[in-house]
Amino acid sequence: MRHIRTAATAAVLTVLLAACGQGSATKEAAAPEGKSVVRYMNFSSNDGHEKDLTAIVNAFQAANPNITVQVETVPYADYFTKLQTSVAGGTAADAFELNYENFVTYAKNGSLAELKNVDTSVYKKSLVDAFNDGGKQYGVPESFSNVVLFYNKALFKKAGVAEPTAEWTWKDEQAAAAKLTDKGAKVWGDYQPVSYNEFYKVLAQNGGEFLNADRTQATFNSPQGVEAAKFLIDKVGKTMPTEADGAGTPDFDSKLFKSGKLAMWHTGIWMFSAMAAAPFDWDVVVEPGNTKKASAMFVNGLVVSAASKNAEAAQKWVTFLASSDETTKTRLATSWELPPVADEAKLAPYLEQPKPANRKAVFSALEETVLPPVIERQQEMQDLVTAELTSAAAGRKPVEKALADAQTKVNGLLKK
Amino acid sequence: MKANAAPVRARTRKSGGWKRLGWVLFFLLPSAIPLFIFTLVPMVSSLWVSLHKWNLISPMEWVGLDNYRNLLTDETTRRVFLHTLIYVAGYLPLVYAGGLCLALALNQKLKGRAFLRATYFLPVVTSWVVVALVWKWLLNPTNGLVNQVLGAIGLPEPGWWTDPHWALPAVILSSAWKDLGFVMVILLAGLQSIPSDIYEAAKVDGSSAWQRFWRVTLPLLSPSTFFVVVISLINGFQVFDQVYVMTGGGPSGSSQVVVGQIYDLTFRYGRAGEASALSWILFAVILLITVVQIRGQRRWVHYA
Amino acid sequence: MRDTRSLPARLALYAAVLVGAAIMLFPFLWTVITSITPEGSLADGPKLVVDDPTLNAYRTLLDAIPMWRIIINSLGIAIASTVLQLVTGSMAAYGFARLHFPLKNVVFGFYLATLMVPLQVLVVPLFIEMKTFNLQDTYFALLAPTIASAFGVFLLRQAVTAVPMELDEAATIDGAGHLRIFTTIVLPLIRPALATVAVFAFMGSWNSFLWPLVVIRSPEFMTLPLGLSTLQGQFTTQWDVVMAGSVVSIVPIAIVYLLAQRHIIAGVAHTGIK
Repeated sequence: MRHIRTAATAAVLTVLLAACGQGSATKEAAAPEGKSVVRYMNFSSNDGHEKDLTAIVNAFQAANPNITVQVETVPYADYFTKLQTSVAGGTAADAFELNYENFVTYAKNGSLAELKNVDTSVYKKSLVDAFNDGGKQYGVPESFSNVVLFYNKALFKKAGVAEPTAEWTWKDEQAAAAKLTDKGAKVWGDYQPVSYNEFYKVLAQNGGEFLNADRTQATFNSPQGVEAAKFLIDKVGKTMPTEADGAGTPDFDSKLFKSGKLAMWHTGIWMFSAMAAAPFDWDVVVEPGNTKKASAMFVNGLVVSAASKNAEAAQKWVTFLASSDETTKTRLATSWELPPVADEAKLAPYLEQPKPANRKAVFSALEETVLPPVIERQQEMQDLVTAELTSAAAGRKPVEKALADAQTKVNGLLKK
Repeated sequence: MKANAAPVRARTRKSGGWKRLGWVLFFLLPSAIPLFIFTLVPMVSSLWVSLHKWNLISPMEWVGLDNYRNLLTDETTRRVFLHTLIYVAGYLPLVYAGGLCLALALNQKLKGRAFLRATYFLPVVTSWVVVALVWKWLLNPTNGLVNQVLGAIGLPEPGWWTDPHWALPAVILSSAWKDLGFVMVILLAGLQSIPSDIYEAAKVDGSSAWQRFWRVTLPLLSPSTFFVVVISLINGFQVFDQVYVMTGGGPSGSSQVVVGQIYDLTFRYGRAGEASALSWILFAVILLITVVQIRGQRRWVHYA
Repeated sequence: MRDTRSLPARLALYAAVLVGAAIMLFPFLWTVITSITPEGSLADGPKLVVDDPTLNAYRTLLDAIPMWRIIINSLGIAIASTVLQLVTGSMAAYGFARLHFPLKNVVFGFYLATLMVPLQVLVVPLFIEMKTFNLQDTYFALLAPTIASAFGVFLLRQAVTAVPMELDEAATIDGAGHLRIFTTIVLPLIRPALATVAVFAFMGSWNSFLWPLVVIRSPEFMTLPLGLSTLQGQFTTQWDVVMAGSVVSIVPIAIVYLLAQRHIIAGVAHTGIK
């Protein structure tokens, strides 16, 4: 017993000593002489694109021999926990990735360095403007993705229904969905999640406004809002499974579509590669609107930390990652989200890939987009709107009441 | 034996205060110092944070006791405390009764006892990521095993994860199941330390098995029971992982617990000051309950 | 002498216990089966027979994350943490159970208090504290919060209290001081409790996620739960790979428990009075 204890204690002491030694070596960015180090934190390369990011890093380092880029990749689910803690502790990376919804908070409280002399012409206007706050450019767009309507051509053919076109409206969608749903065969006509992300979009498609002009009041509890909410909620149980059936659980909808049991599916273009192996023919089209078209757009941007001691090099890196030809080519080749570049010619390889054939729709959707409405207490607003809508969808509350409650609560958030 | 006791005590008293202090420091410092530096100090920091408004990425703003005032009058605070209370009230009896049955059963000379004990402990060491997925399937309202069985017998099939009234019971059930092995291990150790001659003596006195259980086993098991109850309450009030992974506090906030709210406030809503204040309110509740139990030990805990 | 129980009663007990064990084993089996099912997912419901069992998920796992390094990290930290908690915990337990000093219960109260504030709230101040000493992103930072555990102290204190004082007194008469009594009398008698604390210390460290997430940056310090979390993408997840990761994660702890449980059941030495 004694021998084991002595040995164990010795082992532990050795580990502790080694630990202290080990740590200090890698704590400060070990910079080779004359080089500066840029630390970059991101989430979008996780789970499939790490090698692509490494290729881009290598290309950058080859072009800029005095700069070394150290990448840290964190899964999306944990990314903001880690980011916030690192900013609080003063260990934030020199450059990091932010999605649009979170960018606003960081820009407003001085955590970001202003990017000077940014050549905004290389980016699509709507994308680069998203990262401009009060006339100053605090970030560059890195990638974007949007939501389109996927449809299963085989199912349409079988039911004898005409395929969706760019001219469709909600009525056409609902009519087709009704014809395509065959509960007996467990085939569903139209899947659209009941959530904040879908709601603000269909609200826009119906001509409604989520917030008023100076963002001090929520205005979505309007006749247009009720109609839009009803459009979403009426699908549940009629043309798509209910919450009790599993709707809303992870991968439920992608499985449904891939197994050929779903005719129409509102989801993002990030699903292209996942659905490439589907055993039937499918295509995409811009989502139908009601009084107007509006497609949901999600943008990721790159920012430089205000606390960075290496801001210039960091800006060089983010510019390269955002708009260089190297990046554009890599992204298109591996379907790693879409590069934000304005030059359509560079995007040609994307359009030439097969399945889906109508890739043009991805870019047509950019003509009428709606960005997520962002307020200071963003996450709380998203959570409560989704909770109210889910209650209505499950039949626990009438739609009108759910929307009214949601608006009251959001106004409460805006006040504080 | 007793005749020698007096000289022993006299000897230690003469040893004096400094030597005693030396021993106290020797035995306690190895744990006291790390606990102080790495737990107590952050605790005090969080108390300081609770007096501010802070979103982690901007400097803190002093608000004094405002956070506490707002939380104590907020309906959400009441709701999450209620849910947590329901969780504990459901979880503790289930896990203790179940663990006790297991410990009693596996204390017998059964073949394959070691294997069985290991098996029952397996869920305890499995991470919630896996256990959550399994229970989400088990309690799936439409094709989960539990509802299929209930339907077959003719009982009503609750909505479990999708029903605001059943989400919390679902969490309670799965948590109790997962921790049965933990209680079993603690109580087994306690059972093992009951000398068998006490049972022999009780049998000779003509007591029944049931009487032996109530009059001999349970009282002699009370130190272990005490430990299980105190730790389970301390941990139960801080339940988080399983709620986060299985329900996310839903549907519609019907299963949100205090620490879930603390996590959301800190990392998702950028209200770290209120999160700290809420955790200190929770601390006060847990402390009160623990102190009551420790004081109450005298009444029902029999140390050898 | 013990088998006065009737045969039907024993069989019933056996049956109940086996059914219970099957229920406990079931999730683990299902996880293993899913990990060898091509593109398996737990959402499909459990299957007993796999059509094309494949070790693909494990191959992907080894490819996706530097498994060996991660396991060594986790193992090293867990073992160090366990040894530290056993040493510091048993010493404190002896101090609380055997020594008398003013304000003892207040001090013990402070120990217990460290269990009453959730980690979620301590993580940020602790991280800032580590950064102040420039210790973030080190093995030490991973170990530090686990050097001592009030849970272990509490459990061990209960165990030491159960050791009869007569043994101590007998040893004192023989001239033993506290250290001798501690190592030669008390420690051997609380082996079951020590083994229990060892299991929980190991488990706590092995499955720890939030603190490593926040304090570790360099890939060479990555621990298993962090590594496994990278398998869940923003939009899709390869469930069979996640399951393979879970299997890999459970095996070492199961081994630790199997080894420890021999000691937890020991119990024969407790009647030291005789």
